[in-house]
Amino acid sequence: MGAAVTSALLQAAALVALVLACAIPLSGYLVNVMEGRLTPARRVLGPVERAACRLMGVREEDSMGWRRFLVSALLFTAVCFAGLTAILMGQGRLPWNPEGCAGLPADTAFNLAASFVTNTDWQPVAGETRLSYFSQAAGLAVQNFLSPAVGLAAAFALLRGLAAHGTGKLGNFFVDVVRAVLYVLLPLALALSLVGLWQGTPQTFEGYETVQLLEPVAIDAQGNVVAADDPAAVREVTEAVVPLGPQASQVAIKQLGTNGGGFNGANSASALENPTPLTNFLQCAAMPLIPFALVLAFGRMVGDRRQGRALMAAVLVLLGVALVAVVAAETAATPQLAADGAVYVGDLGQSAGNMEGKECRIGVGPSALWAVLTTATATGATNASMAGMTPVGVAVPIVLMGLGEVVGGGVGTGLAALVGFAVLTVFIASLMVGRSPEYLGKKIGPAEMRMATVAVVSPALVILAAATVLALAPTGAVSTSQGGAYGFSDLLYAATSAGANNGSALAGLAANTPLVNGVLGVEMLLGRLVPLAAVLALAGSLAAREPQPSGAGTLSTASPLFVGLLLVIIVLVGALTLLPALALGPLAEQFTTVL
Amino acid sequence: MNGTTIARGAASAAVLFLLATVLCGIVYPWAVAGVGAVAFPAQATGSIIEVDGVKYGSELVGQPFSDPTHLWGRPTVANATTFAGEDGEPLLWYEPENISPASDEFAAVVAERAAVVRAAHPGEGDAPVPSDLVTASGSGFDPHISPAAAEYQVGRIAAATGRSEEEVRAIIRQCTEKPLLGALGASRVNVLKVNLMLDGIL
Repeated sequence: MGAAVTSALLQAAALVALVLACAIPLSGYLVNVMEGRLTPARRVLGPVERAACRLMGVREEDSMGWRRFLVSALLFTAVCFAGLTAILMGQGRLPWNPEGCAGLPADTAFNLAASFVTNTDWQPVAGETRLSYFSQAAGLAVQNFLSPAVGLAAAFALLRGLAAHGTGKLGNFFVDVVRAVLYVLLPLALALSLVGLWQGTPQTFEGYETVQLLEPVAIDAQGNVVAADDPAAVREVTEAVVPLGPQASQVAIKQLGTNGGGFNGANSASALENPTPLTNFLQCAAMPLIPFALVLAFGRMVGDRRQGRALMAAVLVLLGVALVAVVAAETAATPQLAADGAVYVGDLGQSAGNMEGKECRIGVGPSALWAVLTTATATGATNASMAGMTPVGVAVPIVLMGLGEVVGGGVGTGLAALVGFAVLTVFIASLMVGRSPEYLGKKIGPAEMRMATVAVVSPALVILAAATVLALAPTGAVSTSQGGAYGFSDLLYAATSAGANNGSALAGLAANTPLVNGVLGVEMLLGRLVPLAAVLALAGSLAAREPQPSGAGTLSTASPLFVGLLLVIIVLVGALTLLPALALGPLAEQFTTVL
Repeated sequence: MNGTTIARGAASAAVLFLLATVLCGIVYPWAVAGVGAVAFPAQATGSIIEVDGVKYGSELVGQPFSDPTHLWGRPTVANATTFAGEDGEPLLWYEPENISPASDEFAAVVAERAAVVRAAHPGEGDAPVPSDLVTASGSGFDPHISPAAAEYQVGRIAAATGRSEEEVRAIIRQCTEKPLLGALGASRVNVLKVNLMLDGIL
């Protein structure tokens, strides 16, 4: 292994270690505030929580069964979807619009609203070019708080279901959402946004800035930049735009809430959103922070921290494999870039390798780390162009997304997917040795198995269905920038990103068309709501069961053996669903162009 | 679950949406903007470099440079169709290149860029061109290049401006940001700042 690979992996290991060190205390804090225990935070913000609950007409003691919890979550998602659609379509008549952005057409608004209420943050248009400050701050950013809050509520419903003694009750959905926003997401976002602001991320409600170009450029009749002596040049451009707006506040929560939707189209590759190595490090660490803390909170909630550590170990193994693969591929660059020795692809001072689509202040290694973490968690923010990644650097993110949010995943949804896989593993392992399956003292019956299977398999089914629709669409209705294997990767990436509620893109797909907006919009809603319903149903039937004391015949779910089995099941399900599609896209590209 | 329960749930959902819009969508961003206006006014408004009333750009947004007297940055993909000024005059804006680094198309783009850079730097002979001078960045407007890419251009800038190579290097050094604590991030040179200093503006 070269020095550049080693140094990039050391940095990655340091970041993951730091996140884990923060996730341990955060997991205890999460349990305390979500379970309504008295903490310093509740002493300060308790009156706000109580006022909100009074206004909503809900009480903590009014604990819901799984059906009511699910209906509440669906109603809330519907309200958010309707409200956000109205804001996006009506932004022309709303305040905070210094650039005079017109309301979005219905198909774009549908896609964006579906995207942000499902914690996906896929964006068919670049925010800085089409959205008013109101749409960004009071529309999209609000969903950046609420969609992870819904995820946290669902995760705690599942944890209460695992811990309950036959009550069938999962907690109050509305109280959970308020607590998640008030005690977890808002304080963390405020802290991160202030660091970003200090480092250079804009935060203003004034309009964009216009600046002089030191070297004016010539453009042709279509507005494309051409050489000054080009006969097609029709006029000179002497000024450039600097997009401003309430960026720091939005960037913080898009990272912490595993949302990923940038204020700007360039996302965190833009030096405005991500100005320094410090902001890059913190934004990168913010993505897995809450998902990791939730995995550890799982152990605390079921009264056996080893259970949380076992799941965490499985997550870290998958993360480690993905990291090594992407860092090695990006550091090695491609023969196309090396251009027979005309281009130096060695160490430029901490950034050797594939600089295409990467930013100089960030470098190749941290960009590779980010690409892995943004797709391992269901964030989808980017600090480099995903299209500029090597074929392996594209394939690994597709796999991480396609596995179904198990490597951290989205806030709440990641833990739910992981528990779904654990239940599946318990069932298979127990049948192999002829024991009756049980997890954490709860018997796993046919009802639990059905729901766990739906939760685990539905995202992959949704992804493959959408990829099929996009690939079979008539020529012209769906277009990509390049053809062949890469063009298919583009479609597959978009479908995977939407179905897994990730939101990152290869960006070669012309995404803002009615067909693509519609297909991906429906896909994002299904990829979010079907597993959510299955997980809450699973939680409900677990909550109705009395825990059994574990006997000599009980399979230990905290042992290395179980972690290994869990990994085999995750990889097996992932390989069965994804390999054929991967072979047609990035794998074909890797074998034909790089090797 | 009856109709009343569902109606009550819908009402709670609507109230929660409105409360969150006020708290997370109005109070939170304005509070951060307030801190910005008081504590970090320059950063909050885009880190604009302003000299004698002229705004020359943002420290965080690169510009296209091709003049022999200037330091060149990352290749930009710019257009003048996205934004227009108050009088309708076109304004420059950037987009990512979004091209696969394993494609033939990319190989052709890189070969062409490398040939242009090499032709402009005969003093560098057959030395390979630093990769950041022939690759577009993730944003399309990376404000920085690596110290190696800056050093590659020193001879050409010195010859074109009549400055000594040492003077050019001193300016580049002044505009070089180091990794945080010597470990985090990469060393990088702010291209716009170098050129404003070369032009005697900054």
